[in-house]
Amino acid sequence: MTSERVPRWRRYLRLVRPNVPADVDDELAFHIEMRVERNISLGMSPADARRDALDRFGEIDGVRARLVEHDRRKYAQRERAEYFSDLIQDLTFGARVLRRAPAFTAAAALTLALGIGANAAIFSVVDAVLLRPLPYAQPDRLVTLGSASAGEYFALRERMRTVADLAASVPQTHAVDDGRDAIRLKGVAVTTNLMSVLGVAPMIGRGFVASDGIVGNNWSVIISYGLWQRQFAAAQDIVGRTISIEGLPCTIVGVMPPTFRYPSDDVEYWQPYAVEPKNLGLMWAVGGKKIIGRLAPNATLEQAQRELRTVWPSLSTINPLWTPGPDYRRDARVRPLQSDTVGSAAPLLWILFGSTLLVLLIACVNVANLLLARSTARERELAVRAALGGGRGRLIRQLVTESLLLAGIGAVTGTALGFVAVRGLVAAIPPGMPRASEISMNGTVLAFTLVVSVVTGLLFGIVPALRAGASSTAASGVTGSSRRATPGVSHARVSAALVVSEVALAVMLAIASLLLVRSFVALRSIEPGFDPAHVVAARVTVPAARYAADQQAVAAFYQTLLDRAAALPGVRGVAEVDKLPLAETVWGTAMRIESQFEDATHSLPDIDHLQTITPEYFAAMSIPMTRGRAFTAADRADQLPVAVVSRSFERRFWPNESAIGKRIGYPFQSPWMTIVGVVPDTRQDSLRDTTGTSIYVPWAQRSRMSSSELWLVARTAGDPRAAAGAIRKLVRDIDRSVPVSDVRSMDAVVSDSVNESRFTMLLVSTFAGLALLLGAVGIYGVMSYLVGQRTREMGIRLALGAAPERVIGLVLWRAARLAAVGTGLGVVGALFATRSLRQMLYGVSATDPLTLVAAPVLFLCVAALASYAPAVRATRADLMQALRTE
Amino acid sequence: MAGRRDEGDLLQGTLAILILKALLLGPAHGYAVSRWVEDATGDVLTIEEGSLYPALRRLEDRGWVTSEWGVSENNRRARFYAITPAGRKHLRDEAAIWLRYSRAVTRVLRAEPSLA
Repeated sequence: MTSERVPRWRRYLRLVRPNVPADVDDELAFHIEMRVERNISLGMSPADARRDALDRFGEIDGVRARLVEHDRRKYAQRERAEYFSDLIQDLTFGARVLRRAPAFTAAAALTLALGIGANAAIFSVVDAVLLRPLPYAQPDRLVTLGSASAGEYFALRERMRTVADLAASVPQTHAVDDGRDAIRLKGVAVTTNLMSVLGVAPMIGRGFVASDGIVGNNWSVIISYGLWQRQFAAAQDIVGRTISIEGLPCTIVGVMPPTFRYPSDDVEYWQPYAVEPKNLGLMWAVGGKKIIGRLAPNATLEQAQRELRTVWPSLSTINPLWTPGPDYRRDARVRPLQSDTVGSAAPLLWILFGSTLLVLLIACVNVANLLLARSTARERELAVRAALGGGRGRLIRQLVTESLLLAGIGAVTGTALGFVAVRGLVAAIPPGMPRASEISMNGTVLAFTLVVSVVTGLLFGIVPALRAGASSTAASGVTGSSRRATPGVSHARVSAALVVSEVALAVMLAIASLLLVRSFVALRSIEPGFDPAHVVAARVTVPAARYAADQQAVAAFYQTLLDRAAALPGVRGVAEVDKLPLAETVWGTAMRIESQFEDATHSLPDIDHLQTITPEYFAAMSIPMTRGRAFTAADRADQLPVAVVSRSFERRFWPNESAIGKRIGYPFQSPWMTIVGVVPDTRQDSLRDTTGTSIYVPWAQRSRMSSSELWLVARTAGDPRAAAGAIRKLVRDIDRSVPVSDVRSMDAVVSDSVNESRFTMLLVSTFAGLALLLGAVGIYGVMSYLVGQRTREMGIRLALGAAPERVIGLVLWRAARLAAVGTGLGVVGALFATRSLRQMLYGVSATDPLTLVAAPVLFLCVAALASYAPAVRATRADLMQALRTE
Repeated sequence: MAGRRDEGDLLQGTLAILILKALLLGPAHGYAVSRWVEDATGDVLTIEEGSLYPALRRLEDRGWVTSEWGVSENNRRARFYAITPAGRKHLRDEAAIWLRYSRAVTRVLRAEPSLA
């Protein structure tokens, strides 16, 4: 009966949304018309007939409104209910399908988990470092103006209109003593308004006030959350305690919240920046103050940029110390604080992120292929379902739901992997990475993972689903065997296309990884110009302020340290240097060159590196003298000022003669220094340095601006690390208020200096390895499938006497063709993609021919290996068996 | 004409019974239902035709009738209503109550003293 049947309109409903008001109008109009017709047939005039009909009906507008409202609600309800019941049906069916094929499900889910996990892990870094806004108030309005001298800072602060408030900071590392331990901490001297410009208040105590910044009154200090936790056990009565910084007691006035880490993660305390305006040298000669500010309301970055490029160059007229050249600060830039903080980490992270996306894409292709191969096996099931009236849309929906279910399993496993991977990443991340402390698997990362999983599920599910939908409708009319139907052939074509794209992606990653490996090898094989073997280095930080009154005491301390370190067992030679190569920036200075650049008020040549050393430095580091002599104990403060320069320095200023006997000087008023020796160039800031100009001066003749921190370097007979403990103890014995830090062998220093390259190389190589593996699995899968499809053909060939080797060759040839097309595309893709790698490469070009050949060859070998097993299987094809299964 | 509205006002439950009874004959559109009621009651119980449709919706919501679009006897698109098994059961139950009730009222009215 009618009541038992599913109403037809429900199917109609699914295709076209019903027009509810029109249907209601139709129904009511039909009623009225029928009544009118009857009235007329009973003899009424048409007008009377209509009037009577309407009258019998009653309040038609009200009824119509009620019906429309009712029907609308009803349709919506029904649609929702249907949607959910279909979904639950699809999900339970999908789960059953996946359970029935555990090997397939495990392979697909694991593939996806690897892709999704890698993405989640790298994205958590990208999110923390690049995407998350800085933890300050309205961080998008914060800008940096670059670095400047104090004089420039004060002048800019007075003149800039588009940047509402300027603040400055200058990093400093100091010996800090909390009463128990002498430690070396990184601190920052900040103008007293810095925290209010950033819009962050201390969580305990107060911020700085203007009076904190007066010279002679700047004894307050604000400490980091970490320092408070570690050194003070989170004491609640922290405010008012004193801490010895540089041997001077400072009062703790506040503790910053844990998120506040300006300007970098390793900063532990903030002191007020105080400068005596009368000290012109400090005001105008010493740069390095990082200036930040907040854009004025309504001001744009472009406006600020324009203003800065007018204002800053104009300061040359008020500089009381020196006259800057015509190009002075014409290239000044206003940059968002966020991008300035991120700095060089951005390209590295995008490359890593790109790599993981490629891996995920490959994983998708792989799973798509698996699904495709399986949908062949399921063709009969799908055809039956189509024949039973399952619409094509419904079938596709079912298959997509299965894919999403699979993606869901992959996502859960992947997220778990991601949690593990993030821990590993945080541990392995190179120390220079900004905001590394913020890295975590948080809500954003999970949301990203969710989106990625859904997109992944659609991506790998849609092609097989569409194909299956198409073939099922095609096959539904046919009653015969679906195994031999043409869809198999075009499946093969689609899955071959998928494998080709997968190979192309994997080859791209392999090329990128090989380039990075070659760069790293090239970097590591650079001779730094000194011999790091058997050398140990330790940073010794004398509390400058305590010794400030007595420079002799500082000198005496370091001399004692030298003498006693030299006497340590196994030590062959010791020296001290103010800036250790490859461990920190060995900055230089502008210099006067006698009879070439003498006028201190005009532009002087910048020398890349300046080091203050004790006489044995060259010997301890095994830097040979090219010409002249090294320093001796006789080069004392009261003797003739002397210097040693590098070969590049000599070549730059005296290309055709020896530098020995020439004289150079600091930019400010100071006696000439006579060059007594020339040494080969060494790598100073990093192994990548194109060798720069270096000057060495004896520590005994150092300028008054030199830091009181020195590195002790000792050449030892055996393992240099063995001397580390002795050196620590030695310093403590001489003066327990002097902290020793960064005790490492020079080999470790050199190795650590390429941490970032190693990190990138290892990660990209891991991803490339993953990609190769997945690619191999993909080829294996598709070749197995093809062999399975052509069992009959193979059987016939063998039955007709074809040699098994010939059949193997046939299969391998087919695989090789796929792999060759894929690698070809991959190489072309790599030519474009590796451009972004360029700045990370060293000693190898982005289009390095060897790499571009090696990666494809490697992959072809992998492809051959992967298809060997299916090929061998093909030779076992038994004709009778093949025919029987038809 | 205005007077008919007063006489014809029916309790909702009654209207439901009339509709379900009408549909016992087979699926019908709203107009046919109202014509059947008209004929069957000899114009004594005249329903306001407009109220028929909200009543049909209510019956449909309760699962006593279903509806679908079809073509009428004069070849026009019309919405046809059909009674469901649940509707039949409901009709039987209601009818039993009605009949018992009306028998009781009849007996009371026939009892002594007579009305005349």
